[in-house]
Amino acid sequence: MSLAARAARVDPYADRVDHGALRFLHRLNPLAKIAAPLPAMIALVFTRDLAVPLAFIALAYLLLLVGAKLSGRAALGLFVVLPALSAVLAFSIGLWTAPSRTEGTPVLFAIGSFDYTLGALTAGAATALRLGGILVLSLLAGLTSTGPDLVRAMVQQLRVPYRLGYTALAAYRFVPRFGHELDVIRQAHRVRGVSTGRGPVAAVRRWLGYVVPLLAGALRHAERVALAMDSRAFGAHPTRTERHLVPFRARDWVFMLAFWAATAAILVAGAVLPR
Amino acid sequence: MTDSPLLQLESVRIRHEGATAFTPDEVGFAVHSGEVVLVLGPSGSGKSTLALALNGLVPHAVPAELEGTVRVDGIATTDTTVARLSESVSMVFQDPDAQIVTGTVLDEVCFGPENLGLPVAEVLARAEAALTQVGLWQRRDENPDRLSGGGRQRLALACALALRTPLIVLDEPTANLDPRGIDEVYTTLADLVARGGHALVLIEHNLDAAMTLVDRVVVLDRSGRLRFDGPARTVLRDHVGELLALGVWLPAATLAGLRMRDAGHPVAELPLTPVELTALVDSLPAPTAPVPAPEGTVRSGASTTPPQFAPGHELAVRVRDLTVHRGRTEVLHGVDLDVPRGAFVALVGTNGAGKTTLLQSIAGVIAPPRGRVDLLGLDPARADVGTLARAVGFVFQNPEHQFVRGTVADELAQSLERQRLSPDEVADRVDRMLERFGLEAARDVHPFLLSGGQKRRLSVGTALIAGAPVLALDEPTFGQDRERAAELLDILSGLHSEGTTVLVVTHDLQLVADHATHVAVLDGGRIAAFGETAAVLASDALVASGLQPPPLARAFRAAAHPAWHGVTRLGDIPTALRASGAGS
Repeated sequence: MSLAARAARVDPYADRVDHGALRFLHRLNPLAKIAAPLPAMIALVFTRDLAVPLAFIALAYLLLLVGAKLSGRAALGLFVVLPALSAVLAFSIGLWTAPSRTEGTPVLFAIGSFDYTLGALTAGAATALRLGGILVLSLLAGLTSTGPDLVRAMVQQLRVPYRLGYTALAAYRFVPRFGHELDVIRQAHRVRGVSTGRGPVAAVRRWLGYVVPLLAGALRHAERVALAMDSRAFGAHPTRTERHLVPFRARDWVFMLAFWAATAAILVAGAVLPR
Repeated sequence: MTDSPLLQLESVRIRHEGATAFTPDEVGFAVHSGEVVLVLGPSGSGKSTLALALNGLVPHAVPAELEGTVRVDGIATTDTTVARLSESVSMVFQDPDAQIVTGTVLDEVCFGPENLGLPVAEVLARAEAALTQVGLWQRRDENPDRLSGGGRQRLALACALALRTPLIVLDEPTANLDPRGIDEVYTTLADLVARGGHALVLIEHNLDAAMTLVDRVVVLDRSGRLRFDGPARTVLRDHVGELLALGVWLPAATLAGLRMRDAGHPVAELPLTPVELTALVDSLPAPTAPVPAPEGTVRSGASTTPPQFAPGHELAVRVRDLTVHRGRTEVLHGVDLDVPRGAFVALVGTNGAGKTTLLQSIAGVIAPPRGRVDLLGLDPARADVGTLARAVGFVFQNPEHQFVRGTVADELAQSLERQRLSPDEVADRVDRMLERFGLEAARDVHPFLLSGGQKRRLSVGTALIAGAPVLALDEPTFGQDRERAAELLDILSGLHSEGTTVLVVTHDLQLVADHATHVAVLDGGRIAAFGETAAVLASDALVASGLQPPPLARAFRAAAHPAWHGVTRLGDIPTALRASGAGS
């Protein structure tokens, strides 16, 4: 049925794939891939210059290029969409920078009495690069881990109760199902002639109309899934057998510590080196 | 039997939170190792509620009050937990989608044993055995979503088998499946029963499929009380009148046997399966002429000329060379179809044959290419919603999806108000529609709070109120019990006799046989056959398209004398008997 076809396209459970020793990011524990860049991400929130975010972005790109098997889509996002977005963001934030802070820097162009200065562009770029840096760092884990592995790692290493983790995993299945259901509801409402009017007010009213049937269906479905899980001994014991171990190995420690060291080096260099 | 029962119910009464009546009410029976017990009863008798009580979901997980005791292996379900009970009782539910929690077939089967904390080697051994038994071991690495409905339900059965429980409870396991899926599940169940070792409690309305497996039936009446408990054949044969009066659906073969009896032919033993019916038919003198006389022609998909209807026949729908894409896939390939005005057309076919797409294109739910569909002179590709609503009413599979207002009366008034009719006129038509569908008492109720049958009636009412002469329904009986399905089909037959053209996509071929005037068989996005119902059912078109003829047609087609082969509906039987000289 169309539901199955749809769900097959979105496969949140795609099994962890091993792309060889060189693509090492896929072999690391998801938690290591989150913990390693975390200090850098926090540091980026507080940086003001261009060099530090650029260094982190370069590091992340290097790691992704070497250590991850990138799909065509991911590569496109990483090398085209993200740089383009950052450029647009840099320019537009520059527009909003208070002129008083950038006085004295060369004027790049002027519209009437408004001067767009190099200083404004630099300030915009700094903010854009910080945001871009945080995003790219998060992609280290995002592009190379699967949802189930993350849940398993959380249960196995962080001692998150398995009832919580696996319920969240089961809820993954709801996403394509609800997407399909929403399509059908929209179709049905259109047939009933509800889709009248344009503009945001009509759109909000339309969407509110979708909420009730969608929620009613969702609650019923969730209840059934819960009964099915209970019937299969879910929660019978404090622990459950794990067939897929997601171990935290020496390589995970090495990656994490090396990344932290690199983070420290970049931050120190950024603070010490003359600009 | 001398051994202690696996399952023992003593005066079990269950009342759902907020309900006033107890259903089931004072039910007691026992299930022993290796038995296959079928629970029968009309809708509202509490069969599914009873099923939930057998592994402790009632009262542990479902807010309901349980009186009396349910003992599994001698332990009262109230004294333990659902998780513990799952080592003795496993469940297979109706909706295959709502039972899948992991990403691969193998992980799914391992889920239960993993929860029991078994060692990995044991988990895998059990998973392999269970998947092999249901024939899914080769597909263990796939996402369960890629399986067909029947495949997913076999997976649910494998999950139950992997728990290695002595008792498996199956609650309407085939209600959401197409005929092919039903066959798959019953083939697997028959194999399971043949191997022995498991006791099964089966709740099922599709008795035609279930009868061959069942040892014993337990029958509940409408108020949830136990009426009969005994060997399947004895109960069905000796109490057939009472069962009918209770509203229990009987196998088609049994109903046919009753018709023969009514027609004056002595039927010593009522047939319970198509095979037994065939044997009974073969014992009768053959009719002198084929019954019913073949009328109408079946057009096979190979021919290019559309069937010619009598000149007086005006067409309600005319489809020419319709090709429709969904995403990148072509779903319909150059379909031609002529629906005469006032026909009751069933669109049948396996999953993915393009039935729903064809129906939606005709009704303008999805926009077909321009100039391909003519609906009473209207091109759904160009018509606006209001104009379309006056020509065709569309009923979705789930009635809730199409409710847009806060009360039943407003819901009916919706499309009339859009036509800017005067308030008096709107009120008058709404009142008439409420009365027509027995919803007067519910006029100020929120549509979502109606019962299942009322929701379905309201959805038909909203589709018709704008005055549409054509009604299109997408699998309106999916997931419903027989009684509700029959209620809906009666409404549709009523509308049809008043002149409405009805188009319906359905999997239920017996309902098709009993109600539709025409059948279109779709196969792989093409019309494989189209013609009058009796002619299509008696032809090989269904089998060629991967469908099985409905039980009656199957039984009569298997008869030795070819004159019987055209009998497809219960109504044909008296005529057939007269022609054979067996009736009075």
